Amino acid sequence: CAGEENWVDSRTIYVGHREPPPGAEAYIPQRFPDNRIVSAKYTFWNFIPKNLFEQFRRIANFYFLIIFLVQLIIDTPTSPVTSGLPLLFVITVTAIKQGYEDWLRHKADNAINQCPVHFIQHGKLVRKQSRKLRVGDIVMVKEDETFPCDLIFLSSSRGDGTCFVTTASLDGESSHKTYYAVQDTKAFHNEQEIDALHATIECEQPQPDLYKFVGRINVYHDRNEPIARPLGSENLLLRGATLKNTEKIFGVAIYTGMETKMALNYQSKSQKRSAVEKSMNVFLIVYLCILVSKALINTVLKYAWQSVPFRDEPWYNQKTEPEKKRNLFLQAFTDFLAFMVLFNYIIPVSMYVTVEMQKFLGSYFIAWDEEMFDESTGEGPLVNTSDLNEELGQIEYIFTDKTGTLTENNMEFVECCIEGHVYVPHVVCNGQILHDCTGIDMIDSSPGGSGKEREELFFRAICLCHTVQVKDDDSIDGLKKNQVPRKSCIYISSSPDEVALVEGVQRLGYTYLRLKDNYMEILNRENNIEKFELLEVFSFDSVRRRMSVIVKSSTGDIFLFCKGADSSIFPRVKEGKIDQVRSRVERNAVEGLRTLCVAYKKLTAEEYRNVQKLLQTAKLALQDRDKKLAEVYEKIERDFILLGATAVEDRLQEKAADTIEALQKAGIKVWVLTGDKMETAAATCYACKLFRRNTQILELTTKKIEEQSLHDVLFDLNKTVIRQNGSLTRDTFSGLSTDTQDYGLIIDGAALSLIMKPRHDGSSGNYREIFLNICRNCSAVLCCRMAPLQKAQV
Amino acid sequence: NTAFKQQRLPAWQPILTAGTVLPAFFIIGLIFIPIGIGIFVTSNNIREYEIDYTGTEPSSPCNKCLNVSWDSTPPCTCTINFTLEHSFESNVFMYYGLSNFYQNHRRYVKSRDDSQLNGDNSSLLNPSKECEPYRTNEDKPIAPCGAIANSMFNDTLELYRIDNDTRTPIPLIKKGIAWWTDKNVKFRNPTGDGNNLTALFQGTTKPVNWPKPVYMLDSEPDNNGFINEDFIVWMRTAALPTFRKLYRLIERKNSFQPTLQAGKYSLDIAYNYPVHSFDGRKRMILSTISWMGGKNPFLGIAYITVGSICFFLGVVLLFIHHKYGNRNTSADIPN
Repeated sequence: CAGEENWVDSRTIYVGHREPPPGAEAYIPQRFPDNRIVSAKYTFWNFIPKNLFEQFRRIANFYFLIIFLVQLIIDTPTSPVTSGLPLLFVITVTAIKQGYEDWLRHKADNAINQCPVHFIQHGKLVRKQSRKLRVGDIVMVKEDETFPCDLIFLSSSRGDGTCFVTTASLDGESSHKTYYAVQDTKAFHNEQEIDALHATIECEQPQPDLYKFVGRINVYHDRNEPIARPLGSENLLLRGATLKNTEKIFGVAIYTGMETKMALNYQSKSQKRSAVEKSMNVFLIVYLCILVSKALINTVLKYAWQSVPFRDEPWYNQKTEPEKKRNLFLQAFTDFLAFMVLFNYIIPVSMYVTVEMQKFLGSYFIAWDEEMFDESTGEGPLVNTSDLNEELGQIEYIFTDKTGTLTENNMEFVECCIEGHVYVPHVVCNGQILHDCTGIDMIDSSPGGSGKEREELFFRAICLCHTVQVKDDDSIDGLKKNQVPRKSCIYISSSPDEVALVEGVQRLGYTYLRLKDNYMEILNRENNIEKFELLEVFSFDSVRRRMSVIVKSSTGDIFLFCKGADSSIFPRVKEGKIDQVRSRVERNAVEGLRTLCVAYKKLTAEEYRNVQKLLQTAKLALQDRDKKLAEVYEKIERDFILLGATAVEDRLQEKAADTIEALQKAGIKVWVLTGDKMETAAATCYACKLFRRNTQILELTTKKIEEQSLHDVLFDLNKTVIRQNGSLTRDTFSGLSTDTQDYGLIIDGAALSLIMKPRHDGSSGNYREIFLNICRNCSAVLCCRMAPLQKAQV
Repeated sequence: NTAFKQQRLPAWQPILTAGTVLPAFFIIGLIFIPIGIGIFVTSNNIREYEIDYTGTEPSSPCNKCLNVSWDSTPPCTCTINFTLEHSFESNVFMYYGLSNFYQNHRRYVKSRDDSQLNGDNSSLLNPSKECEPYRTNEDKPIAPCGAIANSMFNDTLELYRIDNDTRTPIPLIKKGIAWWTDKNVKFRNPTGDGNNLTALFQGTTKPVNWPKPVYMLDSEPDNNGFINEDFIVWMRTAALPTFRKLYRLIERKNSFQPTLQAGKYSLDIAYNYPVHSFDGRKRMILSTISWMGGKNPFLGIAYITVGSICFFLGVVLLFIHHKYGNRNTSADIPN
């Protein structure tokens, strides 16, 4: 039974279609779809029935169809043509439009399915059409090509087995992301070597989540026991992403065609319905009710009127024989239907057509608008879907991310603080900032001997604890390299924070050179190269809010360096000058700088082995891997010794303040969601005029909640907001108040989780309502210290 | 790039101020009141005289005919004497009016075959199904078929002037009462060899309630068969249960004498049409017409009312504007 579960949950792939050596577990071969992508809805044959079905799922169309059929069946007051012809017209026009769109999709599909792909067969490079790709094929992708299907990254032309990928077409993030080749296969660099690989991959069945993947690769060397290696999302290259900065890579196809994550995401995308359409449907139902009641009343009245015999059948107007014989109830029912038909124009046939036409034209008007023309790119606005453009005028809330949206996401290292001593990389003299100054300006007193040691450790920690890649310069950059030897490398990372830190430390004298064969090389202040062996990387995730590396120095000491947000570091610190660092961190936060804390821990060889074992078991798990990993991380990352903190500046976007002001003038409420510290976020909000001077700030934070109970705080806030509202309306009536006071609410993640947490006594709904009420009355809401999960909840 | 594409087409957005609204009210009032008065006067100048000859009241001379069968021969006749107080100067139109007669009933309205009435020979012998139950009688197709034709008004009205106990008949003209298009386009007799209507209507039977077949409605060939004007007038159904239809014309003989002088008249009725069974009424109406049609005081009254209301409101608003209109401007300056 358990085996069956396994079978359902995972799939097994033979790399290069090689059977595993006999004696290995016998797998039941599975059938996989080919790499054909079908985004078109219809084929030539099923177009008419399927399209008709789709169209009659709309309430209005279905209604008219029913009316038409009723007219055909019963003895009607109006001819069936009067409602049949317009319906036919509407249906035909829509069908033609959809058919045309589908034809375009067919063309696009064909183009994608036939584009050539290189893959390896019997040690040779073969070109084939993309749609002939099968699961298990080994594919070669060159720079700037998109991946034809979901691949497990086997090896790249880069020595360290990494490649860079941009997933702009998948999730909109244009920054380069780093992916890693499988450890055991990254040495294969040409077709023959790759073809000799003998391995099987076990992985889960396809699922739409772009960032989740668990799998396992078994590599067979000769006749030995297979070596199992974990596979994670960092090994998985997704279809639709583009290879960058890497000459070529080899990968094995695991999900193809409609099973790729991209295709799965397309499928689950439901059609967006605008508020107008929704309210239109409500009106439609209301009118339908009116129609039915009208027909009902008329039927009743008809029979009441006919109860007098000379009215029912005067001598001049006698009934026919079949009419006399007809069942009374059947007669009443057909009369009811006849009245329905008679009044069916209460819902106009042309309504949907008019609305569609308006949307269509509206999208053109947006595209034609001169004021939205961007001079620098030479592009006007682009309308992707005409379904939602009337919605644009009805936005009430905007949820914005701080980093990257309000700010430029362009970090600059500003200062660091070691053991309470502050170091600033620029020398500020007479208001001038001298860049590239290698000296450190020490604001506090000179550190003692032990301080010196700590200081060096701190800089090493920053140098080592990151996932930054060094890009090998092209020949053009090579010229610059000679001129400016210190800035020889361009750092690439998914997080601009890290780049800023590494660059900042570089100015302080420690240069991170490269990662070579698992050794990180650092050029220290005395121009000596220090080598550290990189043992483990616990990558950053937004739940833990920290990352760690375990390195082995050339002297054999094993260090665990950890870098993360202050809230996640401080509780794990055993020793170190916490208070001093904390005060400094808070000061920086008030200035709107992003702060990170750095801590370390020395591991003995014994401890390291334990850690390694734990990690290995967790990583090999196919199910719940993330959870298990998190548990292990939790176990390892504790008892740190605090080293210091860093501060990075994130500049505001150029016109952020103006934009936000304009939005607020238009009555749109702005919510900022951020993971930063409260003070940092508040400073940013002031800077971009989200909070103005006359804004009254309401704080709903952990600190306040500790003082009073949550209940009281919420009620207090609610009261103030509502009282203000009451007086506000009075003011506007008397016409005296010139500007209205608005509120800014600051809430932090802990408080929010208290509000959102379901309570045993069932009063949580109440809290939520109060909270919502407060939020609605505020012109700006700032939520800080939020985990991404909470962002979604809000 | 055009003004249209940038949504900057010139547009007029009226802003209602006292300066624009007050003149509008006065102008409407000043235009509507004279129009209303004119229409009202014209309508009042129209002479109209109406006699109800249903005979439900025991005192009425037609009471004796109330329960006589519709197909009795000879028909029950009655005479009603009446006096015109004013003389009718111009051409007089003679109408018959029916009440509580639902010519607008759906089944009734549909119950006719227009192609048969248009002289189509195949429809003549095979009328449309809509005519049921007046489609065939004794296996012969009915011409004209349907409930409308079957229930055609068949009272005969004659008008006499009583002058010193001598009754002089007043000539009633029966042609020219139907629409030209109906008479010449919509209604046609069936075609065939010869002009003998009796032969052309061979193979059909008369409507159940008619005493005579359709080809014997009149002696004149251009007013017989389907193109009989009384028939055509009846076939144009009324929209409301109380209606009047044109029956005869009385033309003015010379310009020195009124068409109908003030005095005594008598109306001879051949009482055939039964209305008592459905609570109906029958009337005879004499009326002159003007450029705006028959007597209708409503339109004039409506014009006068709307005009007066506008004028009155204009005065009230002018008064309000004059007295309170300046307050806003003074309030805007606080000092």
